[in-house]
Formats: sequence, C-alpha cells, structure tokens
Amino acid sequence: MSAAGRRLADRWIAIASPIALLAVWEWASATGLLRTAFFPRPSTIAVHLRDLALDGTLWGHLATTLARIGWSFSLAAVLGVAVGLAMGLWRRLREGLDPVFAAIYPIPSVLFLPLASFLVPPGEIALVVTTAVTSFFLVAFTTTHGVRQIDRLVVEAARHYGAGGWRLFAAVLLPGALPYIFSGLRLGLGFALIVVVAVEIVSASRGLGALLWLSWQVLKVEDMYATFFVIALLGALLSYGLAALRARLLPWVPDVGER
Amino acid sequence: MTFESHGRSVVALDRISLQVHAGEFLCVVGPSGSGKSTLLRVVAGLHRQSVGEVRIEADRPGTPLTAMVFQEHALLPWRTVRDNVTFGLENRGVARGEREARAREMLAMVGLARFAQYYPHQLSGGMKQRVGIARALANDPEVLLMDEPLAALDAQTRAIMQEELLRIWATLGKTVVYVTHSLEEALLLGDRVVLLTARPGRVSHIYPVDLGRPRGLEVRASPVYGALLETIWSRLREEVVRAIAADRGADSGAVRE
Amino acid sequence: MGVAVPAAALILWEICSRLAIVSPRYFPAPTTVAWTLVDRLVAGDLAGDLLVTLTRLAFAFAIAAVPAVPLGLLMGMARPVRDLVEPYLAFIFPVPKITLLPFLMIILGVGEPAFVLTGASSAFFQIVISTLAGVQTMDRHLIEVGRNYGAHGARLFWKVILPATLPSIFTGLRLGLGLALVTLVAVEFIAAKSGLGHLVFRHWQMLSTPEMYAAFALVGALGLVLTRGLRALQARVLTWQEDIGV
Repeated sequence: MSAAGRRLADRWIAIASPIALLAVWEWASATGLLRTAFFPRPSTIAVHLRDLALDGTLWGHLATTLARIGWSFSLAAVLGVAVGLAMGLWRRLREGLDPVFAAIYPIPSVLFLPLASFLVPPGEIALVVTTAVTSFFLVAFTTTHGVRQIDRLVVEAARHYGAGGWRLFAAVLLPGALPYIFSGLRLGLGFALIVVVAVEIVSASRGLGALLWLSWQVLKVEDMYATFFVIALLGALLSYGLAALRARLLPWVPDVGER
Repeated sequence: MTFESHGRSVVALDRISLQVHAGEFLCVVGPSGSGKSTLLRVVAGLHRQSVGEVRIEADRPGTPLTAMVFQEHALLPWRTVRDNVTFGLENRGVARGEREARAREMLAMVGLARFAQYYPHQLSGGMKQRVGIARALANDPEVLLMDEPLAALDAQTRAIMQEELLRIWATLGKTVVYVTHSLEEALLLGDRVVLLTARPGRVSHIYPVDLGRPRGLEVRASPVYGALLETIWSRLREEVVRAIAADRGADSGAVRE
Repeated sequence: MGVAVPAAALILWEICSRLAIVSPRYFPAPTTVAWTLVDRLVAGDLAGDLLVTLTRLAFAFAIAAVPAVPLGLLMGMARPVRDLVEPYLAFIFPVPKITLLPFLMIILGVGEPAFVLTGASSAFFQIVISTLAGVQTMDRHLIEVGRNYGAHGARLFWKVILPATLPSIFTGLRLGLGLALVTLVAVEFIAAKSGLGHLVFRHWQMLSTPEMYAAFALVGALGLVLTRGLRALQARVLTWQEDIGV
C-alpha cells in the first residue's frame, strides 16, 4: 500500500472505529445486553443532549465553566509567564523559589479550595483562585525551562552582534523561550479545565462539573453522559485548538510531534 | 590591527603579539588547546584578556570593529534567514530600507537569495553556515573573524565553501582572521599562516603564503603549496605531539599522586 | 538559598498567627500544625488515613500500569493497533478523569472500586502515551544493529526494544503515579469517607484547621517523596540515561 494510501486508510479507521463502537453500543443497549441503567443507548443520550441544549440549561452551565476557565487561565498565564521569566533570568530567585514551587505543585488543586476560601471571599473568586494555582506552576515551570534551554552560543552571538539589555530580552530570550512558554500555556489550559470541573463538582451549583454531579445525584444517567460528552468536546477543542494555533504563531519550530 | 594578549586563569595564550595587515587573509593554525578560538574571541571582545590590548584601526567610523562567523552558525532559530542577516544592523539602528538592501546583496553574494524567507531549521549545515557568513559581511566590519566555520561540514560541502570564500573575499577584499584545524585549508585560503604552539599558545612561526591571487582549488597541486605544507606540517606535528603528551603527562601525574 | 525562603515564609506565618495579625482560626501557627501532625500520627488515626490513601494509590497504580505498558509497546510496534486505539486515547486524554467518578459510582457503587479505578484512569493514559512515545523515539539504528547481530522476534524485543524504551516507560510510570495520587486525593476530597483527601475536607467543614493543614502538609510531603524518590530511583536503575528531565 502506498504511503498516501496508508494515510487515507488510517483516516478511515480513525473515523470508522468509533462509529462502529457507537453502533455496537446502541445495539447492545437496545437488546438489553448492556444495562441501560449503566449504559443508556447513544440515541437516547443524543436526545437528552439536544433537550439540554434547547432549553438553555446546557448553555448556561457551559458559559459559567468557560468564564471560570477564562479567568483562572488568564490569571495563571500572566503571573506564570512573568514569574517564570524572572526565575529564568535571575538565578537567585530561581534557587529561592524552586523548592517552594516543587513542594506545592504536586498537591491536587481541589485541596486549595479551603485555603482560598479563607483568603478571599468565598464563591467565584475562591474558585478562580483555586483553579489558577496548578496552572500557574505549570506555566511558570515551563517558562523558566524555556529561558534556560536557549543555546548559550546563540545568546553569545546575539550579544556579539550588538544586542544588549532590553533588546537582548525582547529579540532573543523571549522568542527563544516562546515554544516552551506555549507548551506550558497549552498544558496550563488543559489543567484549568480539569480543576474547574473538579472544583465545580465539589462546591458549585452551576457549571458543567456541577451539572454532571447533580445529574448523578438524581440518577439522570443520560444527562450524565451528555454532560460528559460536552466536557470531552471542550477538552479536545482547547487542547487541539491551541496545537493548531501553534503552527501559526511559531512557524520556526519544526514539528515536534507532541500531543 | 595589533593585539597582544596573555590568557586567563588557565594560561590559554601566552604573550601573543600579532600584527594583521589591512586587507589580508590571515590564517591561524595550531594543535587542539592552543587557544586559537580564545584568541579570536579576545579580538572579538567576547573574552576579556588578562593582560595586553587589542587595537583595531577604524577607518570608517560607525561600522563595527569586528564581526564573527561561529563554528556552529549560531543563527537565531526564530528569525528568517533575512532577519538573521539584518540582526546586527537592526541593533545598530540602521534604517529598514538600507538593512533590507544590504541583506539582499549579501545573500546574493553567498548564493542564498532564494532562501531569504526560510527558517534555519529548513536549511542544510552548509547553507546555515553561509547565512552566518552573510550576517557577518552585512555588518561591514573592519575585521572579519572566522572561527573554524567549515569544521562542521562534510568534505564535499567544505570544498565548495572554500571556493566560495575565495571568491567572496576576492570581491570584497576584507581583512580576515581565520582560525582552522586544517593546514590545507589555511594554505588554500590565507596570505599568511600563523602557527601557534601547544598550550599555553604562543606564536611559533608566521609563514607567508606565496601562491598568488586570484586562487582556486587547483593551487593544491602546485609545488609551492606542497613544500609549504611539508614545512609547516613538520612544525605543527611537533606541537600536536607535544599537546598529546602533555595530556598524557597530566594523566599519569594524577595517578602518581 | 533554597532553604532560606521557605524557612522565612514559615517564620513570618508563625509570627503573624501568634500575634493575630491573621486570624489564628483560619491560619494556625506552623508549630501548632506540626504538633497536631505528630500528635495525630502517634495516636494512629492520621496514620490510618495515610495508609488508606497509600493502599488506594498502590492498587490504582498497579491496575493502570499492568495493562498500560504492554498496550503502549504494542501500539508502538504494530501500526494497526495504534491506528485503532489512538482516536480513543486522543479523545479521552484531555478529559478531566475526575468526571469518570460518577459513572464508575453508578456501575460499581459508591466505594473503593470506583475510587481506585478513577485514580487508575489518570495513570493509565499517561503511561500508555509515555510508553508509546518511547517506542516511537527510540533510535532506529539500534533495531538494525540488533537484527544484524542475530536478534530477531522475541529476542529483538527483550534485548533491544524493551531496554531502549525503558527510560520512557519509567518516566511514564513516575508521572502516572503522581497523577494517580492527585486524582485519588481529589476523589477522596469529593466522595470518600476515609483517606487524606477526605480528612482535608472533613476538617475544613468542621473548621478544625490545625488538623486540616496537617493532612494537607502530609499530602504535599507524600507527593514530594514519591516524585523525588522515583526520580532518584530512575537515575540509579537506568544508569545509562543521561538526563532525566522533569
């Protein structure tokens, strides 16, 4: 099979396989092979999804979740890049903050909710702050690494050709770190989604996570699946959307083949 | 241009005193560790020498004193070929129109006019090195410094590039200080060849190269070339052997301790 | 310098709390927290919850790792398998694994299996992806060398492919363990009645903040020990690997 033929075959399998799976699932649930209490028919799920969309419930929750992601990610991104750059440029700062960051980073973000509720007025702000924490560390880490991995020789050459101070930062250090900063932002956005949903499950009454949890509590299984699907779609959009953007914004980076 | 220098904490260079004539192509050879690259970096101002000074007569104020071509090209990966070439000019505040004109000219000279909008990762090693040369030339320095620019290339590309260099230099007539491991290359390209000793590097000998200009690769067949090669190589060989023995001596010294 | 900053922060906290510059209710002094930590550990109940979390983690990790590594290897070596599985991986990967919890609780009931499996799911995807990447990025020349020197089939696998992929597998396991812990603690916070995550939640609700911070610190310490420890282990075992990275 030729290379082009191969790729085409791959595409078909990638599309056909999930469709086949859905078809099998539909049949199995319809014939009772799978308990519909656990695995409702995909067609039923689709109907519930449509209903949720039509009566506005879905959009309301989606909007809330998106807003939270937007706020927390922006907070994390701005602070993360700023601190990351500072740490990349000044060794003392990096040595001082590194252990603190390394200790805090592995802690699950939801655990910060109590802390946040003590520090800031509980409610939306506490939620946003909590979500921002892990993303902040992710972005800061990758930004710092991005600055430090720049080829010393390139910096030396740039200096030799007259770039110093601010110019060195803007024309050399920042672009040099950009691919890594971008990766960090992409990861941070993914994490923002994860934590927002988790925190919504814990303590919110609105948002996709809350919707999922509420549906579970009243055992509306079809709604659960529908919500899950929306969350998955959102996750895919954020993750792969940014990846596509990368090709546009960073034309000088050869394809790393990362996810 | 004159420089005298004494190396740094590990004595890299010892009492180098050298005078480079305007418009000449000066090659520097020596065993590994003789401080050839260090010498170049001192002249470029990338290293600070502990003693002595570098003096460059600036005929044309406003142009930089030196521009270096690095061994591993050291291009900025996030800039296109053209923007890499204009980098030094940008930093000096040269107007856009003039920058671009200069870049076009230099890229044409190194034969890369077609690749102005490419990114470094899309180019081969030889092409990247040519961009490095164009970048240095675009800055119109008093002295062009080249640190083993062809060392990382395969033999065939290297031969082509040597011809290119001869052609470019014949056209532009710049003062060049060229460091290389290869004696053949030094004789092919240079007006004079400076031989450094093993560490700490001192000037062992300076050999004038009477091979006429313009030159092409065919000079390698000439008897003058052959004789020079013999002479210098026997000296260089001594130094190389000394350098290796010094390394070995350092080893056994440690063991004895 | 590395010790100075955290130490200074703790001292500052201590002072602020003692002097009631910040509310001692919400921010008990570090010494109080430390004392509570030791006290509860010795008394045994904190240790009990710690053990519960660790046990769940062990199970989750094992359940994830055992199928994940072979799957990753298989995907790397057999194109059809990869083509088949990859769309599902790509779909699930960006999804918060915590969202699987309610589904698992419906099918398996509200209990350990649901908790452990949710944690396992986080680790599973990471391990598969890392292992796959390991196979894909291994030096192709090694395979040619292996074949040339008489290694084929199973032998080629065990003597060439597997060792070459080991660093990536190890990294995947390490990252997977960390992810499993994070997810598990979050699950405990949300839905369980035992474990460190649950402790933080319970003490938050009761506002017994010293205990809450103590549990919190324990989670942090656990995460740190696991990641650092595994990193050191990796450096020891895989002596030929140059740079471990993050």
